[in-house]
Amino acid sequence: MDLELFYRIAGITTVASPLVLLALLGIPCLVARPPSEKSITRLIYGSVVIGLSTAVAILVAMLISGSRHVPIDLGDWISLPEEHFDFHLKFVFDRLSVPFVILTYLLCGTIGAFTSRYLHREPGYVRFYVAYALFMLGMVCATLAGTIEVLFFGWELVGLSSALLIAFFHERRNPVRNGFMAWCVYRIADAAFLIAAVLMHHLTGAGDFEVLMGQGSWPEGVASITQTQALWIGLLLVVAAAGKSGLVPFSGWLPRAMEGPTSSSAIFYGALSVHLGAYLLLRISPILELSIWLSGTVVTLGLLTAVYATLAGRVQADIKTALAFASLTQVGIIVVEIGLGLRYIALIHILGHAAVRTLQLLRAPTLLHDYHVLENALGGHLPESQIWLWKILPQSSKRWFYLFALERGFLDELLNRIFVRPFVACFRLFDSLERKWTNLLSGDTHVESDAVALHDEIIEELKY
Amino acid sequence: MSVAAANSNSANTAEPEVDPASILHSVLHAAHLLPAQGPITAFVHHNTLHAFEDLEFDTAVRKGGKVFGCHPYLPEKQYREMLVTGRIRTKDIEAVLHDQLGDRGDDLLGFLGTRFNLYRDILNHHLHDGPTVDLRWVIGDTNALNRFREDAPSEIKEQFLNDTRQWVMRDLRGQSGADDLEKLDFPVARLFKMFDERCIETWSNKTWESFVLHLLWQICEEGACQATKSQSGKSDPTRAHGPVDDPIRQRDWLLELTGVDPDELVHETLIPFCAAFLDQGFTSWQLVDREKGFLKSFASVYGQGFELSEPWRRGLAIELSRITAEDESAIESITQSLDELGIGAERLDAFISSSLLALRGFAGMLWQMETRGDRVSHGMPEGTLVEFLAVRLLLDRFAARYVAKNSLSYRGELKQIPRWAEEQLERKNGRDSKPGLRNAFRVFELAQLRGWKPRILSRLKPFEWKNLLSDLEQFSGIERRQIYHLAFERKYRNETLDAVCVHSMRTRQRDLRTSSLANKPKTDFQILCCIDEREESFRRHLEEISPNFQTFGAAGFFAIPMYYRGAADAHFTPLCPVVIQPDHYVREEVVYSLKQHETKRKRARQTIGTVTHRVHIGSRTLTGGWLGTALLGSLATIPLVTRILFPRLTSQFRGLMGGFVKPPEVTHLHLERLPSERPGPTKEQLGFTVQEMAVSVERLLRDIGSTGNFARVFFICGHGSASLNNPHEAAHDCGACAGGRGGPNARAFSQMANDPRVRQLVAANGITIPEDTIFVGCYHNTCDDSITYYDLDQIPLTHRTEFETAVQALDEARKRDAHERCRRFESAPLDLSFDEALKHVEGRAEDLSQVRPEYGHATNALCFVGRRDWNRGMFLDRRAFLQSYDPIQDDAACSILERILQAVIPVCAGINLEYYFSFVDPVGYGCGTKLPHNITSLIGVMNGAGSDLRPGLPWQMVEIHEPVRLLFVIETTAAAMQKIIAKNAGIERLCNGNWVQLAILDAATSTVMLYKRGQFIPYVPETDELASSETSVDWYRGWRDHLKFASIGKEFAN
Repeated sequence: MDLELFYRIAGITTVASPLVLLALLGIPCLVARPPSEKSITRLIYGSVVIGLSTAVAILVAMLISGSRHVPIDLGDWISLPEEHFDFHLKFVFDRLSVPFVILTYLLCGTIGAFTSRYLHREPGYVRFYVAYALFMLGMVCATLAGTIEVLFFGWELVGLSSALLIAFFHERRNPVRNGFMAWCVYRIADAAFLIAAVLMHHLTGAGDFEVLMGQGSWPEGVASITQTQALWIGLLLVVAAAGKSGLVPFSGWLPRAMEGPTSSSAIFYGALSVHLGAYLLLRISPILELSIWLSGTVVTLGLLTAVYATLAGRVQADIKTALAFASLTQVGIIVVEIGLGLRYIALIHILGHAAVRTLQLLRAPTLLHDYHVLENALGGHLPESQIWLWKILPQSSKRWFYLFALERGFLDELLNRIFVRPFVACFRLFDSLERKWTNLLSGDTHVESDAVALHDEIIEELKY
Repeated sequence: MSVAAANSNSANTAEPEVDPASILHSVLHAAHLLPAQGPITAFVHHNTLHAFEDLEFDTAVRKGGKVFGCHPYLPEKQYREMLVTGRIRTKDIEAVLHDQLGDRGDDLLGFLGTRFNLYRDILNHHLHDGPTVDLRWVIGDTNALNRFREDAPSEIKEQFLNDTRQWVMRDLRGQSGADDLEKLDFPVARLFKMFDERCIETWSNKTWESFVLHLLWQICEEGACQATKSQSGKSDPTRAHGPVDDPIRQRDWLLELTGVDPDELVHETLIPFCAAFLDQGFTSWQLVDREKGFLKSFASVYGQGFELSEPWRRGLAIELSRITAEDESAIESITQSLDELGIGAERLDAFISSSLLALRGFAGMLWQMETRGDRVSHGMPEGTLVEFLAVRLLLDRFAARYVAKNSLSYRGELKQIPRWAEEQLERKNGRDSKPGLRNAFRVFELAQLRGWKPRILSRLKPFEWKNLLSDLEQFSGIERRQIYHLAFERKYRNETLDAVCVHSMRTRQRDLRTSSLANKPKTDFQILCCIDEREESFRRHLEEISPNFQTFGAAGFFAIPMYYRGAADAHFTPLCPVVIQPDHYVREEVVYSLKQHETKRKRARQTIGTVTHRVHIGSRTLTGGWLGTALLGSLATIPLVTRILFPRLTSQFRGLMGGFVKPPEVTHLHLERLPSERPGPTKEQLGFTVQEMAVSVERLLRDIGSTGNFARVFFICGHGSASLNNPHEAAHDCGACAGGRGGPNARAFSQMANDPRVRQLVAANGITIPEDTIFVGCYHNTCDDSITYYDLDQIPLTHRTEFETAVQALDEARKRDAHERCRRFESAPLDLSFDEALKHVEGRAEDLSQVRPEYGHATNALCFVGRRDWNRGMFLDRRAFLQSYDPIQDDAACSILERILQAVIPVCAGINLEYYFSFVDPVGYGCGTKLPHNITSLIGVMNGAGSDLRPGLPWQMVEIHEPVRLLFVIETTAAAMQKIIAKNAGIERLCNGNWVQLAILDAATSTVMLYKRGQFIPYVPETDELASSETSVDWYRGWRDHLKFASIGKEFAN
């Protein structure tokens, strides 16, 4: 068979499989005919098996034929020549995206199977899987993206599903609040990403990575922009990656994201979503190479994150937060590796870390059982695992470190001061100006939303 | 808030000062209200409302509901659904109403008929209830004002329509009607206009119906409005209130006023700190200065100023440094906080309770660890709860001040907040504009059902309206739910008692028949299981498979309270009910010939353990994590995928691997102690003396009434449960072993009873155990339905064939038990074979993704105490605790029954009530869904990333439960039972407070007496019919829901 045709069919199937899944799960819900648990499970298995096998087939074909870069071009979907804009739908299979997409399918499939039993009889069963399909589509798009627009599209879907799943238990206040917080941080990251994309268009006339990074296949591409341009685009993309991967100073949302069902926490914050920032950096690694300042920034950011997370993780007394910080520690190191140009090591590190952390998070509820087994094996209480550094520190610095770790480095407050409060104050100001203006016009002091009751009416009969 | 509460608040400045002693007293009082659940690793079921146990059940659940903000009964909607499905019958409602109302039921309420009839109609029809916004929607956007209720009797409807139609045509239309219509003038005119009066004579029936209903609604609304006006000034009990019922803390007022919860700020800081303070060895950095106590440690950590600390805590560091510098005690700090918050002696109790209950999970755990610190590796020092309160109040002060300033620009004193907030609230009190709307709608609905015609309603005077509404209000939601609940319990109780009567009669008749033929099945084997209701099906199947099996039930620690340590265990665990503090220690030891072997394996286990522990910790660190994840991480995909896709196979493989380092199978219990030694944990002190053994053996045999006719093989079967990925694993273990596993007790008992010296001593007291009787200990895992037998090498050659026959029957029984359990699991197909069912439950136990490895005690509802004879062959649907007891062998004072009930009533009631509350309010009393649970400090679970600790049972454990109070059916006489109740305060509290239901059975005549208000009243059966079926499988096959009773067995089937 014609190899080109095979690549094209297999490539499109890989991308289309989660898209079809999303449609099959989502559309029946829209017409109030949610599918049953059994049919959902079957659809998930089908979609993952198809996606995974085509991805593996492409890998095999690439290995046999020796090609290292297989673009699948689906043409321009929007073209505005006078605006110099076109939305170019293109996917790329190369040494970076293929392992990543296989990992995505593998973990999504496992989590899908896990969740089908874990969420059995849960009222939000279908809702979970719709968000899950959205996530899988986002991940596949983002990893296989050949242009920055497609990457952004996938990136957005991942962010959306992520926030929805953090707030999965929306009848409680905390999950919604924390989901909202993650959403806000993602917005900052997205803004940076979008600006970078626009800049790229300006500089190279297209969002295509090939144009930007040169013709060489990953990781040997050579960027075709100047050093200063690279620095600015690169910095913006680093901000985007930092938001998505919870790097310093955006780390606060990650431990708070452990609100959804255990399995969604595992796949998002142990495995895939949290590595998406690192993936972006890997994708643009030829740009990083151009500017020593840029790669320096990346290394510093990674190092800070790793040290911060390992400190904060030491005092967390609950397993999921501890694992969130453990995850962040490794993401920090991965970012350092990328900054240093160790791309293959970073890639292998991501793959391994994702698998380990997913397993650990899924097993989190079994912690007590495991500790019991360990105690029995050791024949007594577990030894205290204090590191030497902790032992030699003087009391006062111990105290300082402890507070720093317990308060998670005060990063939330930092963000509040830099972004949140000025932002809110600014919009409050606009609001009061608007009120003055409308009041003046209407000769009234009434704003309809003011009349909304602060609390739900609680009736003695329904609940004390 | 009620006006009364508000008044007391405004007077707060005049309250007397508080002294340290009364603070301590108040804290103790409040501690009583905190959740009493200890560490989750040893889960002990107990009455969730133990704090109110000295009250009557109904009073207690209402009071508990108020204090904890939880449901006292199920939501009304659920009872209504049961009314539709027939789970609650109309006749139950009527019977309960008669009983509850007594004479009041016959009161005539004006033209409305008797109170009984009114209440019955309210209960039998689905009347709308909900917030005012809901109601507005119903009125405006549904057909409520256009079409009659569908459940209205058609003759009433016809009459209603005709009468009103005539009245409208005759009196209303011309505006010249009687003078009593004056007040309706305006609305009627508007209605006429709306329906176009000009063509009134051609109105269709539908138009008329709509018009009449609109008219009725106008009248009801107007009437309710009049009535409310006439009682203005008084507090309205149905008035909607804010988020807090009785505001007392500054936080309550601020929340009411701003919608911002200061507690959210406080808890963000307090929760991680409490978790760190409680930590049992999870974190690698210990909390700084933890040994100095809660307050000092908090002051030491947060006393450091930090530029970036959150704005609401500004000034906290200075305050804490002052506390450290002045070495201020917790009580002094509390006194100061109280002073600043304006709390005097009068409201001290309420204030402190409310403050502690705000984070009740952690506060309760701190208190548990302070009082029962022996149960964990890091206990809490004395005074922890008081120090916690001191810190909490300190933070409360800062948070309240911040919120008041930021959201309300209030800069005054904290103690003035309540008064100030009240003024503010009064000023903007436009919220509950129409409190009468809900009442009006209720009258509107009842008028349709009972035919209260608009003509009559329109003539009511305001005071008559007021009376009508107050009659309706008296029958508020809680009252209705109580009646529903009693009816719900009544149906099941009557069905049970009917079934008991019929079945015991049938067994008696059968025995008469068979004894004359002298072919009564002889007893070859006996087995003693735990009282646990999960063993009911196991015993039933066993008896079905082999009729020569006699089964008994007793509390699963088998009268052997002990601390036990297995060969591979690190610690001693207590194996006996919580109320008993064991004296004796027992160890399992590897037999001497395998000692060396074991030493080697032990070293291997230690090495593996150390490595695993290092990896566990290391994978979360910087360098260790790098090595682990970057180099070896990809290998984790193998266990990840296999464990999730093939849980059962993977576990078999793991078991195979683990087998190489497990301690050798051949072990024995170090059970005997010389009389000269005192019991204790050291080698010489382990075990029981022969004398003590004989006492235990005799006691248990007498309890279950097995003092003669011993079979050649007597099994003693303990139970427990093992499951993966389940923080609540221990909650499935044996309740009589305080959340431990009862296998060792069964083993110890058998070893004792097999000892010839013990037998000699027992024989001297009149129980002769024949020489050829052997006792075999075994352990039933209720999760995967496996049975392990102990000390098989001790079984003499002469008994091996019989033992093997018995094991065959037991194997078949456990398969069928698994099969019967599977009918409850929605994910198990209904058409599984016995073998497939066993595989299914084995898979569940090993599945990481399984949140319902088993259903535990869910559906428990009954407890039978008596001989098995009258309930053998009765299908009890795994809902009955079964305790064996033979009244004939008991003495005149019923001392055996008394000692049995002393343990059985509190323990079973505790289990039942915990399930009751966790089901009735799964989020308030239970710990909600398991899915976001997050193990914290190795002692409890939080919801997600940072909630309070959640005690209680998760929804997945209780979802199939029916919240009925446990019904005891005890085979004894009224006089004996009365005496036991009178003598034992614990039993008295539960029985007279209606925390359990109690009935006694006379097995000789099959008559039942029911305990009601301190009296035993003869029970008259509703029916003398009872279904029967040849086998259990035939009866339960193809059905997931609860099943009715039946007689099982060929001899009953016809």
